[in-house]
Amino acid sequence: MTDMKKGPVSGSKPVAHVTVADRRQFLIGSAGLLGAATLSLGTGLGVRRARAQSRAEISFASAAFFGKETFGDLIKAFNESQDRVLVKNIELPPPSSSTEVYQGLVQQLARRTGTPDVFSQDVIWIAGFAAAGWALPLDEFFPADKRGAYFTGTLNACTYGGKLTALPWFMDSGMFYYRKDVLEKHGGKVPDNWADMATIAAAAQKAGDVDFGYLWQGKQAEVLVCDAVEIITSNNGAILAPDGKSSLINQKAAVEAIQFLHDTIAKTKISPQDVLSWDEEPSRQPFTSGKAMFMRNWSYVYPIAQDAKASQVVDKVGVAPLPAFPGGKSAATLGGYQLGVNANSKQREAAIELLTWLSSTETQQRIALNFGLAPTRSALFQDEKIKSEQPFMASLEKVFTGATARPITPEYAKVTLALQSGISKALVSGNVQAEMDALAAQINQIVG
Amino acid sequence: MRWLRKSTRSSAEPMSAAATVSGIGWPRLGKALPGAVWASLLLTPAFVSLASVSFYPIVNGLYLSLTNTSLITQENEFSGFSNYVQLWGDAQFWNAWWHTMWFTAASTILETVIGLGMALILCEAFKGRGLVRAAMLVPWAMPTVVTSKMFGWLFDGQNGIINYILLHAGLIDRNINWYGSPDTAMTTIIIADVWKTTPFMALLLLTGLQTVPNSLIEAARMDGAKGWITFWHIRLPLLMPTLLIAGLFRALDAFRVFDLVYVLTGGGPADSTETLSTLSYKVLFSTLQFGYGSAVSTAMFVTEGMIALAFCLYLIRQIRRAQ
Repeated sequence: MTDMKKGPVSGSKPVAHVTVADRRQFLIGSAGLLGAATLSLGTGLGVRRARAQSRAEISFASAAFFGKETFGDLIKAFNESQDRVLVKNIELPPPSSSTEVYQGLVQQLARRTGTPDVFSQDVIWIAGFAAAGWALPLDEFFPADKRGAYFTGTLNACTYGGKLTALPWFMDSGMFYYRKDVLEKHGGKVPDNWADMATIAAAAQKAGDVDFGYLWQGKQAEVLVCDAVEIITSNNGAILAPDGKSSLINQKAAVEAIQFLHDTIAKTKISPQDVLSWDEEPSRQPFTSGKAMFMRNWSYVYPIAQDAKASQVVDKVGVAPLPAFPGGKSAATLGGYQLGVNANSKQREAAIELLTWLSSTETQQRIALNFGLAPTRSALFQDEKIKSEQPFMASLEKVFTGATARPITPEYAKVTLALQSGISKALVSGNVQAEMDALAAQINQIVG
Repeated sequence: MRWLRKSTRSSAEPMSAAATVSGIGWPRLGKALPGAVWASLLLTPAFVSLASVSFYPIVNGLYLSLTNTSLITQENEFSGFSNYVQLWGDAQFWNAWWHTMWFTAASTILETVIGLGMALILCEAFKGRGLVRAAMLVPWAMPTVVTSKMFGWLFDGQNGIINYILLHAGLIDRNINWYGSPDTAMTTIIIADVWKTTPFMALLLLTGLQTVPNSLIEAARMDGAKGWITFWHIRLPLLMPTLLIAGLFRALDAFRVFDLVYVLTGGGPADSTETLSTLSYKVLFSTLQFGYGSAVSTAMFVTEGMIALAFCLYLIRQIRRAQ
């Protein structure tokens, strides 16, 4: 019992819940043990049965990703690789239905029954799960000196309240796509600050090389928040203060950044007004059909751009870190799924064993090769096999180094809805300061 | 009666045996129960199933709206009317409320007027009428998500055919970004809805028109009434009850608009197409605030009730006046 309590006590509010739940679990657990004992006595201990019993049975839940294999195959491989732990795979909807995945996970975790023992979570849910006391702090299993292999940005996103509550698994981030051939005509140097980017984009547009200078995603949706986080962070701004209790979105840095996005439509006219209703795919299409100079998007675009059946710009596309403002550093919004352990899991050791295996160098390499999902261990970007089979992925190390987490707060779901609405209003109306003031007030109310 | 009671008391077994053998036990039992009890007994299965799928969710929703239930904060306490107080001062809610009312009014009126026109045409005898009547229903039979995607392409800001036609007809001088501008986004969604649902209205009104006795129209013609007079003084008054009921159906349906908005704009830009359904979906399932989300849903329910009430009162007045 004492061991069981250790983890979840960290949260302040849910202590009462946890104790009650623990007691119930203890009862259920002992009842189960009693039942199992009777059963095995009754049926007689066959050799094979005894072996199956001795394996700790745990469950793993994840959004369903596909590639050359599925996560089900991955779990099967783990089950075959050792004889201590037997994992049952619980398949959730695909990541494109992330709201449904979120609901499914929350419903199971809120029951505090210990199922699933291990789960994967979108980076933006980590703080919420940790604050609710559902995610087991992992510091004792993965002490700080063991974490150096992972990207810092990913580790930050996995940390809540000073505790590591998720283990990095695989990642994605925003990146800067450019047309090599057009850039050659306009200086040949990939712009590293926004002003240069705007100048080159305008020049290319004026010369008639492309229809659009710069494409981004302005639809009132999650992706707008991602675009905003990148540009605000690249101006040394932030959406939330470091303590997460107030908003900085009406400060000068953030307002300048949002103003820049508005100007791409209204002033410099390097972006069509359509970006305001575009998410990832609508902005990808003009780029891969050769109509645009620069674009911000995720890593999935590159394979499409290189596919002659879907793209007119094969071998003409380059990828770089996004530009920054003078004095700022390039930032890329972090995406991807990270691993967590259920705080109510009755099989902690087994859960940690699975977690360690899933996040290991070998498994991350396998995921990179078979699913095309980028590893969170920076050393793997030098891996020969990944370099030869996924050369594009291997080239992304520089981009991922700047990966920045979206606001880390248990209230993220509310904050993001407010951000989507507020930033969209600012972009449409152009009253950036006024809209950001209203938005900051709204966010302060949510997180304060 | 006495026999029945006696035999029941003696033992159940002989009684049931007697009943099955002679077949007179059941009818007697039927008579033994008062008619009302018997009737309600038979209604019980229907009542229970209805109550469990429609009454219980409503009551539970009402109860949830009086709590601070949230899956994330793990709170689940009675909080009185605090959700409604918050709702009253929530600018986003009122923004969505007005959009929903505007959408409902605009789409219902347009669909009724255009549907009436279509019904009048389809009521006339012409060659291939059966085919036209069947073909007309195609838009209505399509899943709304498909309609949404289709309109997404038609009104696309860059490659949309609507922009192409308008541009080449000289009506606009540059492409309009229909879904990216708060001025046009809602209008475009209304157009999509009108395209999709007008056939349904036309069908409802067509059945209404067919109940208007031909003899009345012939009599009017004999008296020298022209088409417009016949329509205005004979067909329309007789069609009024159907028109109002069809309008009521349509208004209640339009009020729940979700898929068109969800697929086309997600509520944007700048909240200009946020409706109550999309807002309550976001509150309920993205932020998992079941308490506050239920308050939004309850507010929707109340508004729909008021719309239905207004229609019904008007309908009753119309019927009274006709009598």
